[in-house]
Formats: sequence, structure tokens, C-alpha cells
Amino acid sequence: MSEEFEPNIVAFLCNWCSYAGADLAGTSRTHYLPNVKIIRVMCSGRVNPLFLVNALQQGADGVLISGCHPGDCHYLEGNFFARRRFMLMRKLLEHVGVDPARVNMSWVSASEGAKFKDVVDEVVTKVKEVGPMDQFRRRQINW
Amino acid sequence: MVDSLRPKIGVYICHCGINIGSVVDVPAVVEYASKLPGVAVSREYTYMCSDPGQNLVKEDIEKEGLNRVIVASCSPRMHEPTFRKTLKDAGLNPYYLEMANIREQCSWVHEDHAEATEKAKKLVEAAVAKALLLEALEEKEVDVIPSCLVIGAGIAGIQAALDIADAGFKVYVVEKTPSVGGHMAQLDKTFPTLDCSACILTPKMVDVANHPNIELMTYSQLEEISGYVGNFKAKIRKKARYVDFDRCTGCGVCAENCRLAGRIPNEFDELIGNRGAIYLPFPQAVPAKYTIDPERCLQLSKGKCGKEGPACVAACGPGCIDFEQQDEIVEIECGTVIVATGYDVFPMEKKPEYGWAENDNVLTGLEFERLVSASGPTGGKPILGRDKKGEGGYEPKKVAFIHCVGSRDKSVGNEYCSRVCCMYLAKQAHLIRDKLPDAEITVFYMDVRAFGKGFEEFYDRVRREGVRYVRGNPSEIFKKSADPEDHTLIVKVEDTLTGTPLEYESDLVVLGVGLEPRRDIREIIDLFKLSQSTDGFFLEAHPKLRPVDTASDGVFLAGCCQGPKDIPDTVAQAKGAASSALILMAYGKVKVEAQVSVVNPDECRGCGFCVEVCPFTAIELVDENRMGNIVQVAKVNEALCKGCGSCAAACLSGAIQPKSFKDEQILPQIAVLGVKP
Amino acid sequence: MVDEKKLQDKARETLSRDDVRRLIGWKRSTYGYEAAPAVLTDASEADQLIFDPTCVQNPASFISLEEKKPVPRGQEPDTRKIAVMVKGCDSRAIVQQLVEKAYNRDDVVVLGIPCIGVIDRRKAEKLFGETGKQVKAKVDKEKVAVDIGGDVKTVDRKDILMDKCLRCRYPNPLVSDFLLGDEVEKWADDDFADVDEFEKMTPEEKWKHWDEQLSKCIRCYSCKSVCPMCYCVECVVTQQKPQWTRRSTDISENAAYHLQRAWHLAGRCIECMECQRVCPVDIPIMELNRKMTREVKEMFDYEPGVDAEAEPLLASYNPQDPEDYIM
Repeated sequence: MSEEFEPNIVAFLCNWCSYAGADLAGTSRTHYLPNVKIIRVMCSGRVNPLFLVNALQQGADGVLISGCHPGDCHYLEGNFFARRRFMLMRKLLEHVGVDPARVNMSWVSASEGAKFKDVVDEVVTKVKEVGPMDQFRRRQINW
Repeated sequence: MVDSLRPKIGVYICHCGINIGSVVDVPAVVEYASKLPGVAVSREYTYMCSDPGQNLVKEDIEKEGLNRVIVASCSPRMHEPTFRKTLKDAGLNPYYLEMANIREQCSWVHEDHAEATEKAKKLVEAAVAKALLLEALEEKEVDVIPSCLVIGAGIAGIQAALDIADAGFKVYVVEKTPSVGGHMAQLDKTFPTLDCSACILTPKMVDVANHPNIELMTYSQLEEISGYVGNFKAKIRKKARYVDFDRCTGCGVCAENCRLAGRIPNEFDELIGNRGAIYLPFPQAVPAKYTIDPERCLQLSKGKCGKEGPACVAACGPGCIDFEQQDEIVEIECGTVIVATGYDVFPMEKKPEYGWAENDNVLTGLEFERLVSASGPTGGKPILGRDKKGEGGYEPKKVAFIHCVGSRDKSVGNEYCSRVCCMYLAKQAHLIRDKLPDAEITVFYMDVRAFGKGFEEFYDRVRREGVRYVRGNPSEIFKKSADPEDHTLIVKVEDTLTGTPLEYESDLVVLGVGLEPRRDIREIIDLFKLSQSTDGFFLEAHPKLRPVDTASDGVFLAGCCQGPKDIPDTVAQAKGAASSALILMAYGKVKVEAQVSVVNPDECRGCGFCVEVCPFTAIELVDENRMGNIVQVAKVNEALCKGCGSCAAACLSGAIQPKSFKDEQILPQIAVLGVKP
Repeated sequence: MVDEKKLQDKARETLSRDDVRRLIGWKRSTYGYEAAPAVLTDASEADQLIFDPTCVQNPASFISLEEKKPVPRGQEPDTRKIAVMVKGCDSRAIVQQLVEKAYNRDDVVVLGIPCIGVIDRRKAEKLFGETGKQVKAKVDKEKVAVDIGGDVKTVDRKDILMDKCLRCRYPNPLVSDFLLGDEVEKWADDDFADVDEFEKMTPEEKWKHWDEQLSKCIRCYSCKSVCPMCYCVECVVTQQKPQWTRRSTDISENAAYHLQRAWHLAGRCIECMECQRVCPVDIPIMELNRKMTREVKEMFDYEPGVDAEAEPLLASYNPQDPEDYIM
């Protein structure tokens, strides 16, 4: 490849902690890699693990789910459910040969703008190493 | 009339002055958006949130018949309410708005203009994809119970409670300790004006106890809180005082007769003074009712007190003492909550090199306050080293004050400045100068931050009174000799202005301990699900614009629980919190979440997974007649649902979905953002 | 071994009850290594019922699969019980269905059958070839005797029983109203050696395996139709709004479908292996379920279908759940 592989990562961020943390990273002008594109959900507990499968199918090279630290969920316990779901979903994807580096999860609080940057940069680096996700990417058909 | 079936989308790209426009090629994004499916209008403007910006949207809604609006600008956490209102004003359902965050999550975080522009295009495209499937939602209002629960009765809680009560609303004040007053009651004088702390606080303490609109619950703790903004239900444990509250006259004969009188370290005196097992924490305590310490009282802890039985019972005229008394659980309803739980001072155990634990002439700032307070153990005389009977002792000749103990110190995990120590140490230096005109007083500082009204002037005055300021952060404090009669301490420090290492001799060291989040802060976090900022204090909803709000609607912050601050700042914030609570209560109604979950009863299989995951018990299974067969399906109580959507991720059939965040609305976003640019 | 006479008598008695609508069990099929399911409504039909190692199908699938027909105006819905015969493994489906409130315990009469193993059609065909003859079988502690149209062949049971039987930990039903036959001793255990073996593969090898296997899928949805845990009114797979997976049978959609299916069974799969048994193109579907079962057990100490009072795995949590990869 002549051009360096630039991974495309879809992130699901909870509104109260991680999305606010990402906003804080912005307010503090913390520069990070543009490969991560954020979808806002109200709670990490909202993220249906099948969204991951769908994102990988659509062409994402990696995914990131981020929520409040355990115990700090704005909705009391949504992140606990999320944690269980994504521990398991990651194992399932691993079993079909999807590199676990593509499935990432983090706890980023509203005050952790700097951590959000670190998480993004680390995820991008990790996914870059494992290369493009082309195992069951949906082929776009132009009718 | 809005044709909601055929989407007609207006896309508005904001330059945000140069905040967005200097990085993102806005015209290119406008051009890109104009070609997206369903987009009828694509425009740019310098400040979309300004009046002309909003009018642009309104005009297009009216003239072009737009029925979906995308604003690509800052975070929806910032301006979603603003633009929702714009839509509403133009007669469009406010939930037909979708925002693309191209400032905080694009122009401010990416340097490469081309990359940022590409990302902005994608973010706008994802917003358009979602907007095609947005639905109109109904905003409902519920009544706000016209009462407020104030947790903590320090100066912040007292002030907030008084303001709300004066406005004519009911206030419940819950205080953990036997008396109101908090830390302010422990202080001797206040900087920089040198008012007597008790003199200005005591009237307010009395007011809070006597106000007809205030129900004061001291020696009480919040145990449970449920409900939502406007409709909270709280369970409060009133701990047993073992003294009949109504009959106790506060005469104090019981305490004088207590077999342990003067033998138990008094928390109010920072353990440098003593009390009995039955006690009033300090003379001006409100309510002036005695309390028995169940852990120390011989009768309660050992089941036996002297040969003749408890002396307090014999001494108490009205016969108030009741060892059988039980904790009482009180349930109340309130519409708003103010958290004013205050702070703890830095625990010196974390800095053993300062010898606080070993030397009783090394005092924390708060201990010093008690030492020089007229109501303190020495009656305000700065006498150290008294015996158990309170006799003997010596007056210090050389006093050292140390700045920034437990603040601005990464080694103990506190990076922040505690804001009050510079000035309280200056004040304490002044007090020593006042009481001991011949003493040699030295202050060791890192910086002196005299930023408030009258602070610099006061600092200047203290220096002119002969207080020496030496720049240096001591590394160690220890006793000069093993001789018990020699009280001399050595403060090891480098004068960083001259680069000279010093071993400063002193016989009283006062440590300017910083302020920390309360050790029991977790209790409140668990009850209200509040967040903490990195310093551990409660996190406000917005650092600039919503400093007293929390992420939990109807719950406000006042005082040092949100961060270190001095008394005037605390009072100001308490008044702010009170006014925020009053807005809700005075209007009497509050909007409930419109983005709640909704069940498709035809698809629900009644497994109850959603019921199990719902943290707010907002879902129940109800009977449903499915073509003559009775089946169980989930049903959402919209007043309780907060729209987190955990139910949707647990649901296998996709029958339950949170409005505005349905699978069918998120999947198109994934489809756009997943595809590589 | 179950006495068929006793089994039929009990079935007759059960079908004679006023509060029982129908009984689901097994009957001899006309040909092949698998018995046929029998759905009986009348006591006179009870003598069709059998139980032997050909009775591999899980009758518990039928309880929740039964379509609830519209009730004509003026009529009352039929709320009589369904009686069902279950082996140990099948009974776990009932337990899990009870966890998920698919029906109430009172709605079913469970006739439990202790079982020491059933025949894997694919293994039998490998040994003896496909057959158009009627098959009977007997199993004892070591051997299985297979009677193919009168021709009796004896094989080591390890060579012919279903994989699930070779690691069976619940030979006796976990839930039953009547036990048909004496309880049997557990003779196998599950060490997840199959999963360990699979995991020796590199990610590339794993995907190569699945690419080959899943490319075969024709999306007949037999696997989900037969699954006792798949009983949504309308499966998300076939929903149009939103459309999670497209209908085309390319590897992308097939992989998405199978991941979706495996995910929806995570913490719910009771390992009856029906999905894999019915697959017309021989996809080793259980390999996905087995992985989930192992992880669920290891990470969350959870086993579905053994305790009707348990909380559903993914609708509960433990504050101490593992989170090793979370940043």
C-alpha cells in the first residue's frame, strides 16, 4: 500500500460522561486523531451489542463504547449491563476471527477530556496495527 | 401544515465565529449537505445561536416548509435546548432537530483542515440520516412538590434553607451532627474583615431552627431517595439521641454529672478539647439539646454506669434521658434537593513528615481555630501543653505557619489549590500577633494568593504587623530534643528566594491544611448518582454556566461540596442554589423527559428482561389481549422513565425502544459513519 | 431404560385429564435415525409414543412455538395445559423458558425421562450410511445397539451419540411432574475441550473456517425455528424496520445473521444442539454457542436453564464483573 492505512472507528458515547468528556477535550483544544466518529446515545447501556456487528459490517475497522465509570452511571447501573454485554460480545467476535483489538471499551468521565484523547489515540493505534477489517464487510452495491 | 411524511430537511452549518470556520471548510460542507437525500435547504451562518441565526431557521421553516432541521455547530449538550426552542417558536415539533457536533468534536480537536472538513461532512451526513427518521415527541409537564430538601446545615445549607423558606416554601434540613453550623461554627474570626465567626453565624443558626417553613432534622441522615425532579421521596433516619428532644431544656446538668465528663475528645474542638458521653458539641449549638454518644456512654455501650446507675438520669430534672430510645425513620416528599455537605480538612496521616501525630504543638489550621476561639478548650488563650485537668502549659514564643499542606501537592494526590489557606493563615498569624505581641511569627509559603476583595490589603497589613513571610515549602518538622520539657520544633526548609537551607526553630507550628471532599462523599454519590470532578468534589452541570446544577435534574450544589471556597463564595453559591430550586418550585411545573421508551405490544414477548434492567422500575408487565389470547407485555410508566435505553439493548425482539434513540434511528448513523470516506 | 408401556400408560392418563390440551413426545419415524415428534390430543393415540436413543428432537421447542390462534368473538381462549416429555437436556429449555416468563409452570405438565444418550444422525450415517429403513436403538453403559430394519449393529456409544451426550451433565430432568423411569447416573462431564481446541487457531484460521462454513448458509432459518429459546413474535432478523440484516445470502449478511443468533442465545443457550442438528448445509453452529456458554460460565459463573429462579444473565450484573480490556 502506498498510502498509510487510516482506520475508521465508530464510537458510541454516553451523553452524561463520555460525550461530555469528549466535549471537554474539545473545549480544552486537546488534539486527537480524526479517525473516531462519535454517535451519541443517552447511556452506554443503550448500546445494543449488535450495533458493533453492524458497524463492522458497514465498514468500520473498529468500535469504541464509552460510558461513565462503574458506579457513576447517570442512570444508576446502565454501564454495568453494558460492561457485561461487551465483555461477551468481544469474545464472540474473537471466536469468528475478529481481532479483539477492534472492540474497545472505556470509562471516561465528564472531567476526563485528556483521558478521552488518550483512549482515541490508543484505539486508533491498535486498530491501525491490525489493519483493515474486511472479513464480513458489506459490499456497497450501486444499483 | 408540516408534511411529516416527506422529509424536507434544512441544514445549517455554523462558523461559530472562527471557532469552526477557521478549521473546517464550511462552504464545502454546505455544498456536500445540499446534495444529501431529503435536504431542501443548506446554509451557513457566522453564529447560528444568535438571533439572526435562529431567525434564518425560523424563516426557512415558514417559507420553505422545512420539517426537519440539522444544526451543525457546537455540542448538543450546549445548544440543543436553544435550537429546540427555535423550532418550537416556528411551529415545528422541537424533536425534529438533530445536531452535528462539528466544534467540540471536530474543529477544536483536529488540526488538519482537510481531515476536519471530511469528518464534518460525515457528521452532518449522519445527522441527516438520523433526521429522516426522527419523530415528533410530546413534551409533558408534571407538578413540582413545593418543598426542598437541604442536606447539610453548614453555612451553605443554612443560607439556602433560609432563602427558600423566606420565599414561602417548605424546607427540610437534614444535618448529620447534633448541631447546625458546620465548619464555620468552629472558626474564631473570619478573614479578611476579622468578624467573629460565631457572632455572624449564630443568628442564622437560630433562624434556621425557628423558621416556620423549616423542619430541621439534626443528628439525622438521608438513607434513601427515589423519584425524579419535582417528585422526590426521601427516607431520613433520625438517630436516637437518648434524650427526649422536646423536654430537654439544654441546662447541661446532665453533662456536668456525666461520669465521663471531660474525658472524651470533642469532635467539634477537633479533638483538642474534651466533652462527656452526654454532651452539647459547643455552647451555642442549635438545637440546644443534649445528645448521648452511644459508643462512649457506659450505660449504652457496657450496659452499666457506676454503682448507682447513670448519673445523668439522676441529675436531669425533667427526666429526659431515655436509654430505650430508637432511631426514627421519617419519610418526606420534596420537589427539589440542595446538596450542601461541605468538606473535610486534609488528613495529616497522609503527610507524616510534618510530625503532626507525634507533637501536640503541631496543629492543623482548624485545631488552631479551636485553640484561639473563646468557646474553645483554652477559652481562647493560645496555651499549649496543658495537663489533663487543663492546668499548666506554656505560651509559644516562636510560631511557624506552613502553606499548602495537602493542596497543590501531587504527592498526596491533590493538585488543586484550596483557595482559603493563604488567607486563613494570614488571619491566624494576625490573631497570634494580637494575643502574643512579642512572639516571633514566620510564615512559610509557596505563593501567596490574595485574590479576593480586601485580601491583598489584609495580607499587607499582616506583614506590616511584623509577620515574616519566607518562601519555602518545608520538607520535615521534628522535635529538637527528646527532653519532654523542651517543646522546640525544627522546621526544615529551604528559603527558595535566597537558596538558603534553614532549620527554623519554633514552639508552635500551624499547618495550613487544605480542603478535601468529604470522606463519606460516596454515600451522597450513591444516593443521587452525582459525578465527581477529578479533584473528587461534586461535578457541576457546566463549569461556567451551570455551576450550581448537577446532571441530576432538581438536585443542586452549594458550598464546599462542589469545590473549596471561602464563606462569601459559599453564601453566594447557596443563594444561587436556592434560586435555582425556587425557579422550579415557583413555576410549579417541570417538563418530564419526552425521550422515553415505548413498547410495540405486538412484538413484545413478555420475557421481562426490560423490567429487570430498568433502574427506575419504570417498566412492568401487563396483560394484553392479543386476538383473544391474554399475553403479558411490557408497559412503560412515562413519568418514571428517564430514557436511558438500557431496556432496548436487553430486548431481543426490538419491541422496546427509547424515542429519538431507536434502533432504526441509530442504524442509519452507523451506516453513514461506518462507511469509509 | 424407560419402559415404553409405562410411558404410554402415563401419557394416556395425562391426555385423559380435562386440563390437558395436548401431549408432545416422540413416535417412530418411517425411516432414518431420528424419531419423529408426536403431538397428540387424544388418549387413544398414546400407544404411538416411544422413547429410545433415536428420540433426539427437543419437544420443549414446541411449547413456545405453538401459535396462539385468534380466538373468535364470544369464545374463550383454550388455556388448558400442554404436556411434554423431556430428556435431561430438553428440560433445561423448560427451565430457561420459565426464567423468561414464556409461560407459567402451571401451564405445562412435564413428563421427565432420564436419558443416557441419543444418536447423532450424522455420525450414524457415517458409520452405516443413509437409510430408508425404520431404525430402533438401545443404549447401555458402553454400547449402542442400532436396529436398522432388523439388522442390528453394535457400536461404542462414544462413536455414535450426540456430542452433547458425551459431555452431558444433566442426564436427569431438572424439572418434571412425573419421572418416567429411574434416575440415571451421570457418566460424562464437560471440560470445554472442543472450545479449547478451536481456540488454538489464529484469528486468520478462525475466520477462514467461518468464511467457509457461513458461506454455505442458505438462510432457511431452520436453526432459529427449531431453537426452543427463539420464540419472539417476529424475529429481528426478518423485521423490516429496522432491517438489521439484508436478505441476500452473501458472507457479510450470513455472518451478521449468525452472530446475531449466537448473541441472542448468549446466556440463554441450553445446548440441546437442535440448531446444528437441523442445519441442511451442516454448519457447525454449536461452535458459536459453545464459546458463549464457556465464557458465560467462566466470566459470570452463570449457567442458563438450571435454575428457574435465576435472573437472566444479560438482564443482571455483578458490580465485580470482569472488565479486563476496558480502558
